[in-house]
Amino acid sequence: MRISRFLGILVTAGLMAAGYAAWRSAVPSRPASGLAPQRGGQLVGSTRSELRSYNRLVSREQNTEILSLLTQGRLVRINRSTFELEPWLAESWEASADGRTYTMHLRKGVFWSDGVPFTSDDVLFSLKASYDPRAGSVVVSQLTIGGQPITATAPDSSTVVFTYPAASGPGLRLLDNLTILPKHKLEAALANGMFRSAWDSSVAPADIVGTGPFVVREYQPGQRIVLDRNPRYWRKAPNGDALPYLDRIVLEIVPDQNAELLRLQSGAIDLTQSELRPEDYVAARRSEEQGDLSLLELGVGTDADAFWFCQKPEVKRNDPRFAFVQKPEFRQAISYAVDREQFAEEVFLGAAVPIWGPITPGNRPWFWSEVPRYRHDEDRARALLKSIGLEDRNGNGVVEDARGTEARFTIVTQRGIGWYEHGTAFLRESAARIGIAFDVAPIENGALIQRLLSCDYDAMYFRPLATDLDPAGNLDMWLSSGSGHFWNLEEKTPATEWERRIDTLMLEQASTIDPDRRKAIFNEAQTVFAENLPVLYFAAPRLYYAHRTRVLGIVPSVLRPPALWNADMLSVTGP
Amino acid sequence: MTRFLFRRLLFALVLVVAVSSAALLLTRLSPGDVATQLGPFAPSAEVVRERARFDLDRSVASQWVLWVSRAARFEFGQSFLYNRPVGGLIRQATANTALLAVIALTLATLTGIPLGIFTGSRRGGLLPRLVTGASLVCLSMPPLLTSLLLVFVAARTGWLPTGGMTSVAAVDVTWSRWVADVAWHLPLPALALALPIAATFERLQSQAIADVVRQPFILSAVARGVPHRRLVVRHAWRASLRSICAVYGLAIGTLLSGSFVVEYIAAWPGLGRLMYEALRARDIYLVAGCAAMGGMVLTLGGVLADVLLVAADPRVREGVVR
Repeated sequence: MRISRFLGILVTAGLMAAGYAAWRSAVPSRPASGLAPQRGGQLVGSTRSELRSYNRLVSREQNTEILSLLTQGRLVRINRSTFELEPWLAESWEASADGRTYTMHLRKGVFWSDGVPFTSDDVLFSLKASYDPRAGSVVVSQLTIGGQPITATAPDSSTVVFTYPAASGPGLRLLDNLTILPKHKLEAALANGMFRSAWDSSVAPADIVGTGPFVVREYQPGQRIVLDRNPRYWRKAPNGDALPYLDRIVLEIVPDQNAELLRLQSGAIDLTQSELRPEDYVAARRSEEQGDLSLLELGVGTDADAFWFCQKPEVKRNDPRFAFVQKPEFRQAISYAVDREQFAEEVFLGAAVPIWGPITPGNRPWFWSEVPRYRHDEDRARALLKSIGLEDRNGNGVVEDARGTEARFTIVTQRGIGWYEHGTAFLRESAARIGIAFDVAPIENGALIQRLLSCDYDAMYFRPLATDLDPAGNLDMWLSSGSGHFWNLEEKTPATEWERRIDTLMLEQASTIDPDRRKAIFNEAQTVFAENLPVLYFAAPRLYYAHRTRVLGIVPSVLRPPALWNADMLSVTGP
Repeated sequence: MTRFLFRRLLFALVLVVAVSSAALLLTRLSPGDVATQLGPFAPSAEVVRERARFDLDRSVASQWVLWVSRAARFEFGQSFLYNRPVGGLIRQATANTALLAVIALTLATLTGIPLGIFTGSRRGGLLPRLVTGASLVCLSMPPLLTSLLLVFVAARTGWLPTGGMTSVAAVDVTWSRWVADVAWHLPLPALALALPIAATFERLQSQAIADVVRQPFILSAVARGVPHRRLVVRHAWRASLRSICAVYGLAIGTLLSGSFVVEYIAAWPGLGRLMYEALRARDIYLVAGCAAMGGMVLTLGGVLADVLLVAADPRVREGVVR
């Protein structure tokens, strides 16, 4: 038996030595920076989920969004790097003085990938489909103003006049949500109520036509999505070259993120659709040093982990702890207890910046550096707790109110996400130092969402994703009646005065056209939010992105997809 | 034999219905449903629509009755994840898993059993001990670790593809090249699945041979001067096969459970990965469909093991040993 064990160790050591030797023998590729873009070649990316639909108007899945960027067009697009509005299928426009009417001039000589000319009829059709209740559009909330739809007319085949029901702060930026779909392909489906399923992923790729740089060649479930160059694509490079540069893009379906990173390092794929996890940074840096990968800092992420208590009075009214949870001083005390610099260091391994509100420095147009801050100060935190009657009366290390109700809570978070586990552990230790006891319960994502929707939790630690960088496009979070107002979902009337104030400010800024005025109003809304702290934010991660060095032309974005949003300008060296 | 097979197939049918119904009910009753995949803040109209699409607005009993009545007509419902009928997805995935499993089982059989005969028929010596040591290592490594290690080595060396069933270049190739491409992608997941099973076979076969060579009929053959090789292969091995045949059914179960992890890590588009993804997404009809197919494969594996046992051991055929 002893010999067997010894041999087992010997074989294991041999395997490890072989693995190490194989790793060392890997030949690094040469970096390709500084080269001019080349026409032709194939880029292999990865995606971690399946494709459900080709129709962006009825599906918000990440793959549908990527396919929409690759195969379809919009009248205007928001540049994912600069956040500026750019002409796209519309080459110019005029706005009326009241900001309610926009006359869009469509680009001439644009064809669908099947050769049919693109006209204003396609724009009217797409807008109509977005509002058709049978279609079940997922962009309808982004295309309504005060609950009213945008209307449009087409004086001729290359002009569309949009009339907004009221002045809109985002203005034409709203139209970045309107994917233009081919009327000649989908009109019948819309008429007979089949629009929603007309471009399901089971449809033959030949039926999917678009004005984007690529066309769908093949979708093999569980394996890959293949896209070929659209020879009728309208856009030219600054030097007049026909775009796109690439002949083909392949998206390999790799569900596991560890396997995805290994494939990237080995050269099996050129790029991914997401930023690196903090724990992957060192491995990617090593590959960069070997010349295999290029590592880009995308900037500070626009979304951050959030911590909040359920504050729905209808559900929590009988919970004695709700008496102090609903007081801003209680939440402020927790905010003071957390050393955000240390939080960024320990939870994100230093790749994060401290934040005090939902708008991170990554959202450059709307970030406000003067938002009220809570510098780490445990004495002040204890004083705040005392001011609302919370003291450690029985000496067990946990504060309680006069009736003996302890400040003890369970934080629910998603299982399997490393930084959630580290973040909640840090928070638990920080809160314990001021006498608040947290137990952490990591649970599966579906159960977490169910609890969130039914307010069946004390506190939650999670990363809610903003639907839009522009606050006017993210009203579902800010407004007390919103479906994304996650600490107290869909309030019938504002539960607090400060929520009523935020409602007023947000509706005002959404209907204000002057950008400076909008910013000022939103700064005030952020201040009210930070003073009352319905949600606590601690750090926003710095995002890093890795791609093979043979890929040229990447303009990185903090938004997903970080590289493929600009796919027509990408090129590769080699086949 | 016909009666025996009929009984086993009837049992298979009952098992498939029971397993798939249990999978359906457990998925339905576990916290969170398919609508949670739309995200935490999806508009309520969208959530209601998706729940109705998957019959989640009905009672549990009503949904089960509806599903069984549809399944009897070979309609297994729609998948949320893939937005297409479950039947087609399962057929394709089962074919892919079957290919992987057959290769893995063949590999495990062709290595594990000869090595077991070798180690079981020798007493002492460095080589048998080396083989035994390697088997213990393979047995103690779960498929998750094996597949990650193999993917790591493949990624670092480029000797094998790191995952997938075909390469990107296989999009435009002839049928024969496509087959060659699939064969090029098979070793990694097949090895990850086969290694622990081969080690099991080796250990069992070794023990069985060691037991049989001490039996009186073998000693008698030795006394008659039967050569060692013939003694082992013709007499001892056949008598020792009973224990191996008995675990064949279990090996098929191991292949199926191992495929959950291996197919996920190696991005092999098979039944294990499909079921894993379906479970994660609470894709209720896909979970039930995968469970039904898994139950069917397991039962057929059991039948196969029984048939092999009957063929290999005359004592079973004659009813001396059960």
